[in-house]
Amino acid sequence: MLSRVANNLIWLDRYMERGNGILSLLKVNFYANQDSPELFSWSPIIKNYTRADNTFYTEDAIECIDFMVFNINNPNSILNIVTKARENARSVQEHISKELWLCINSYYLFLTKKDLREKLKEEDPLVFLDNLLDFHLKFYGNIEITLERGPAYFFMTIGKYLERVLQISDFTAMKLIEIAKTSDSLEQSFYWKNLLLSIGGYQLYLKKHKSSFKEDHIITMIFQDTLFPRSVYYCINKLNRHVNLLIETGELEKNNIEFLLGKLESTIKYTTIDSINDQGLDNFIKGIKEDIKNISFSINTVYFSNVN
Amino acid sequence: MNNKHLFSSYDLLPNTWDEMYSIDSDIRSQYDIINEYLRSTSPEILFKKEELSKQLFMNQGVTFTVYNNNEGIEKIFPFDIVPRILTAFEWEKIDKGIKQRIKALNLFIKDIYHDQFIINDGIIPAELIYSCPNFLRQMKGVKVPHDIYVHIAGVDLIRNNDGEFYVLEDNLRTPSGVSYMLENREISKRIFPGVLSKNQIRPVANYPNLLYNKLKELSDQNDPNIVLLTPGIYNSAYYEHTTLARLMGIELVEGSDLVVKDHFVFMKTTNGLKRVDVIYRRVDDEFLDPLEFNASSTLGVAGIMAAYRKGNVNIVNAPGTGIADDKAIYIYVPDMIKYYLEEDPILKNIETYQLGKPDEYDHVAKHIKDMVIKKTDGSGGYGMLMGHEASDEEIKDYLENVRKNPDNFIAQPILRLSTAPCCIDGKLSPRCIDLRPFALSGKDGIDITPGGLTRVALKKGSLVVNSSQGGGSKDTWVIQ
Repeated sequence: MLSRVANNLIWLDRYMERGNGILSLLKVNFYANQDSPELFSWSPIIKNYTRADNTFYTEDAIECIDFMVFNINNPNSILNIVTKARENARSVQEHISKELWLCINSYYLFLTKKDLREKLKEEDPLVFLDNLLDFHLKFYGNIEITLERGPAYFFMTIGKYLERVLQISDFTAMKLIEIAKTSDSLEQSFYWKNLLLSIGGYQLYLKKHKSSFKEDHIITMIFQDTLFPRSVYYCINKLNRHVNLLIETGELEKNNIEFLLGKLESTIKYTTIDSINDQGLDNFIKGIKEDIKNISFSINTVYFSNVN
Repeated sequence: MNNKHLFSSYDLLPNTWDEMYSIDSDIRSQYDIINEYLRSTSPEILFKKEELSKQLFMNQGVTFTVYNNNEGIEKIFPFDIVPRILTAFEWEKIDKGIKQRIKALNLFIKDIYHDQFIINDGIIPAELIYSCPNFLRQMKGVKVPHDIYVHIAGVDLIRNNDGEFYVLEDNLRTPSGVSYMLENREISKRIFPGVLSKNQIRPVANYPNLLYNKLKELSDQNDPNIVLLTPGIYNSAYYEHTTLARLMGIELVEGSDLVVKDHFVFMKTTNGLKRVDVIYRRVDDEFLDPLEFNASSTLGVAGIMAAYRKGNVNIVNAPGTGIADDKAIYIYVPDMIKYYLEEDPILKNIETYQLGKPDEYDHVAKHIKDMVIKKTDGSGGYGMLMGHEASDEEIKDYLENVRKNPDNFIAQPILRLSTAPCCIDGKLSPRCIDLRPFALSGKDGIDITPGGLTRVALKKGSLVVNSSQGGGSKDTWVIQ
């Protein structure tokens, strides 16, 4: 496969995954903010997704959602993300299914409809966000049922899980900062619960551990659970598998990326909760992010720029 | 239900051929099928169908982007739902005429880049060839597979008020619009369910397969690697490039995806370099190879021409075909047909005056109100003077400009483009149209997909059908 095409496929899925994460985060924060606005303010979310020189901050929910969805100066606004996803999809149309292209295109057209921005002010914000999230569900479903399990699928999957690991790490790091600010254990448990909700693991947690919020259980679930599709371990495992599938199908040459991934996978799998606590969760996350950045960087340099 | 309103105000243009109505205002028989349908359809339903067609184009991304204040606005090329219909008899003549023309033009290009018999025999003056900007010295003596230079042509035809088809332009470089031919038909199937099959309208869907086979036969490899080279996503025909690549199942590449090594062309893949055998390029000659043409071009590939001359890669259409669709050369096409094929031209040329010739210049200047003047190397409807619309001032300025370099200009009488019914504000109105059929040449001959792209000047009374200047398009039906 053309290097440019592979790169565009990775980014297509990365952007869509990022969009899904941002919308989920907005939705969960909107709920939480209704109960305790002082705990769940909007600024950390804006800060995490904007450039360092951003000056726009708001504690008005609708203003924040508007900024995060529509503002074209915000590089991670849903509108910008979907526009880029669409540009990527457009340039690889012969590698994805027509259904998938139609799906992304309809999302873009929906977002650029004239009256949509006005609707945010009139409609229930959760309904509004759900309408956008529906496009992501369609996107996932389309991949599942229309895309052949070949190189295009493998590259997209790599994009998806790269982005997802980074998001889980970011979400957790964001909450850790908030948690560190308080010594009230009830408040802390609010934050942990909120984190689970943001990454969609709340129900699973209840099923496993009932309604008792123990930090160790939560960390284990988010970082090491083998079945939870939004655990860091699960994502790294998928990354590893799909890189190997690409090597098996002759799309990628064997090199140190699979080694790096394999190493990261075992590190996460075999690190005990005690040793995570010893080094500090924030350091543990930093380590994972560093590794993922290196892996992502290697994929870029090895396969996409130095092909001569 | 009888939709009288729709037909209530169809004012034929004077002295103009109408595709649907004869001079006696009878409906031509080929339009019976659509007439029946339109008359029995209420205006509301028709309006819905129009809306549906717009929606379909939008949803499929058959659009181009206009950038305004950093915001991209998606636009569709306007589509008129009422098809243009040709009889089998009319089509047969077009089909034969274009085939004859393309055959002669191919022979001409080969001759020009090799023996130049046509110059030596005094049919075409040498200065004309060498002064033409689209003549490529780099192509002299280059042998191309099966002696075919023009694999894809989109010949523009118009129907004059005598009912005859005339050739307006040959378009032998990188003609576009074929995706609209395909897409318009898909839309017609949705808007007029059952009508096409019931009336045995000739299908067009075969075009990508035909094209693929023509590209494939250019390589001696068993399973050649064929790619489509696009200038990239900001090109206004990008949609077409992605569509053709998808429909043929070939890779869509940009210049930066390709590299030349040891006179072979490779594409950069995740698993190293992979050889490329055939390139269907939608990049103009000028930008194809920065080593030989425009040095600042980033759209092409350095060294590709050298690889081509060595026969290690095929480029479609061949570089240098622009010599044959230059407006100054156009005048000689009927002579070429006689010279190479010993046949009379089936399709007529439009009477054309060369402004470099003093007597012809005088004639044009005298009848300027009935003339259109064009630059010989212009396209897209730009840089023209329409004598009947221009002010005296404009004419004076334009002619002054012409006199600086009269060889670069030609003039033609203002044409009466035929009109066809278009659905405008819920009523049928006549609008000027042309026709661009797409011809594919290969070692076993020339195939022309029945129909082609009918372009429409949607502005009332306008003769300019170019999409960049308010033109739209229609589906084109050829009856079995």
